[in-house]
Amino acid sequence: MAVAELRAAGGALAAPRRRRTRAAASRIGGGLAVLIPILVLSSFITYSLGALSNSNPAATILGQDAATPAAVAHLDQVLGLDKPLIVQYWDWLSQAVRGNLGVSYFTQIPVSQSIAQRLPVDLSIAIGAVILAVLIGGTAGTVAAIRRGGWIDRGVTLACSAVSTLPAFVVGIILVVVFAVGARWLPANGYVGPTAGVGPWLAHIILPSLALALPVAADVARQLRTSLVSVLEQNYITGARVRGLPNRRILIRHGLRNAAGPALTILGNDFPIMLAGAVAAEAVFSLPGLGQLLLEAAQTRDIPVVQGVLLVVSAFVIVINLVVNMALSLLYRSADGVSV
Amino acid sequence: MTRKTRRAPRDPVLRQPSAMTAVAILAIIVFLAIFGSALAPQSPLAIDAGALYKGPSLHHLLGTDYLGRDVLSRLMAGTRLSVLTAFEAVGIGLVIGAPLGVATVFLGRAFDFTANRVADALMTLPSIFFAVAVTAALGNGLVQAMFPVGILLVPVFFRVTRAATLEFSRAQYVEAAELLGGSKLHVIRVHVLRKVMPTMAVTTAQAAAGALLAVSFLTFLGIGVQPPTPTWGGVLSSDLDYLNLAPWAPFIPGALIAITVGALNALADAYRDRAGAGELRSPVTDPVIKTHSTLQPLEAADDRQPAA
Repeated sequence: MAVAELRAAGGALAAPRRRRTRAAASRIGGGLAVLIPILVLSSFITYSLGALSNSNPAATILGQDAATPAAVAHLDQVLGLDKPLIVQYWDWLSQAVRGNLGVSYFTQIPVSQSIAQRLPVDLSIAIGAVILAVLIGGTAGTVAAIRRGGWIDRGVTLACSAVSTLPAFVVGIILVVVFAVGARWLPANGYVGPTAGVGPWLAHIILPSLALALPVAADVARQLRTSLVSVLEQNYITGARVRGLPNRRILIRHGLRNAAGPALTILGNDFPIMLAGAVAAEAVFSLPGLGQLLLEAAQTRDIPVVQGVLLVVSAFVIVINLVVNMALSLLYRSADGVSV
Repeated sequence: MTRKTRRAPRDPVLRQPSAMTAVAILAIIVFLAIFGSALAPQSPLAIDAGALYKGPSLHHLLGTDYLGRDVLSRLMAGTRLSVLTAFEAVGIGLVIGAPLGVATVFLGRAFDFTANRVADALMTLPSIFFAVAVTAALGNGLVQAMFPVGILLVPVFFRVTRAATLEFSRAQYVEAAELLGGSKLHVIRVHVLRKVMPTMAVTTAQAAAGALLAVSFLTFLGIGVQPPTPTWGGVLSSDLDYLNLAPWAPFIPGALIAITVGALNALADAYRDRAGAGELRSPVTDPVIKTHSTLQPLEAADDRQPAA
């Protein structure tokens, strides 16, 4: 780690700016080249999941009385279910790329429309959670690293271990009990869109966001503390002190900038966990989000909805990962990225 | 390494107080998983309309739920299903992922590349979403629901094993053993696998903690079980509907889940601490998609991770 930081710092001094930019660009291009096969593979897993299920959609749609073998065969043909799996997959994917994820077997509502309706709920709490996780985790980790060995450091470490043991849905329930049932400061459940007013919207998303953010904040704080402690021991920090730079500048420009990489990676890696947490938050706070849509669809075996939700969610995970990697390579501008 | 030094009289890890506590807690949980339903003081399904939302008392040690059922009995009876299905997921991940992780180091670049891309793709599927989707396809059951969780643990085991194997297979003593005429299988078994084992132990404990959380969460969502069947997550979710009447109730199943998961994590930490910083890789610090991993030779793709 320390060696890698020095190497990154040394490389940044030696290499001309243009070469560094080109290195970052090739890294991003390489990322995209890897991205496409991964997207194809995970979408194929998603699609074959529904196609390989033992459910018989045509019979389900027609109902028990109307499901004569001829009618089932006809509907299979209309739905394209009689074609080979790979052809079905290709049809589905080429439509999905254009934003058409098919229609629900039961409600006939386009899947993309249902998803578009639900997505803002999850995005609101997820973005809120990222902001809270960075604020809480970043502050706690930085303070713990500066006051290393002190009671604040021990308190932060203890709180982090406690919080990361608790699953998001238990954290959510504790928050509901404390803030909504006990203190009655905030609503215990439901969702109000931002169009109905920013105040009520924030009041409804703050508890779910906090429930999602706390376990991630604990991870971020622990990682940031570890790397900041080792960065602050480096010679260039001593050098900056000797040159008489103000403490704040040393901490932000020299310390945090070099120590933030691993914490940012953790934040990116925790994104799938946050999505799972969003399902938990939806369940605890009765929010009409993607998780609830998926649960309802799974109960009725509404395969197009299940496939659509899974595709959108995994696409999000892939893109977020790419964005995190790009942010890291731009932040450090080194040819081999950041060795975290 | 001779057999004598490997078999220490007692594992030094287990002498640490935190590890001892963790093992004791896990022993109790395993005991409950085997004998819990037989030892439950009352029937986990018996409804008592005269004792709804009662707090802990001598008759009901952990109180009663919204139907007057004994919470302690329900949690004891629910342990087996939670623990068994968590084992199922970890078992699938370990049995498929670990051998693949070892094999990929020795089977050549093409295999390694393919396996890594499949692992990348699997890791983009969020486990809870995937588990719910699989129950839609394969039918609503906890065994079906935990199958995909196990499949998604495969890349975790795969990557950790691969990284550890890669590291140890480049060691000089491995080269020496090969030069001395050891067969490839012998060298892998004696000189590589034995070194990879502690890493596997840590990952298994972490994966078990994750799987147990997934079980609790799936049962909390009502996936895989019919309502009267007692599960940890089910008790939690039914308590949630009556928060105004019994705000303390969810803390009992919540604490049970947290203590068990915490014990598994503490055990993993104890093993990791003994192995020393940098010796073991945590799957958490391994980037999900390494965008640069395919552009560089195999050796350079795996930088050392800092200790979390």
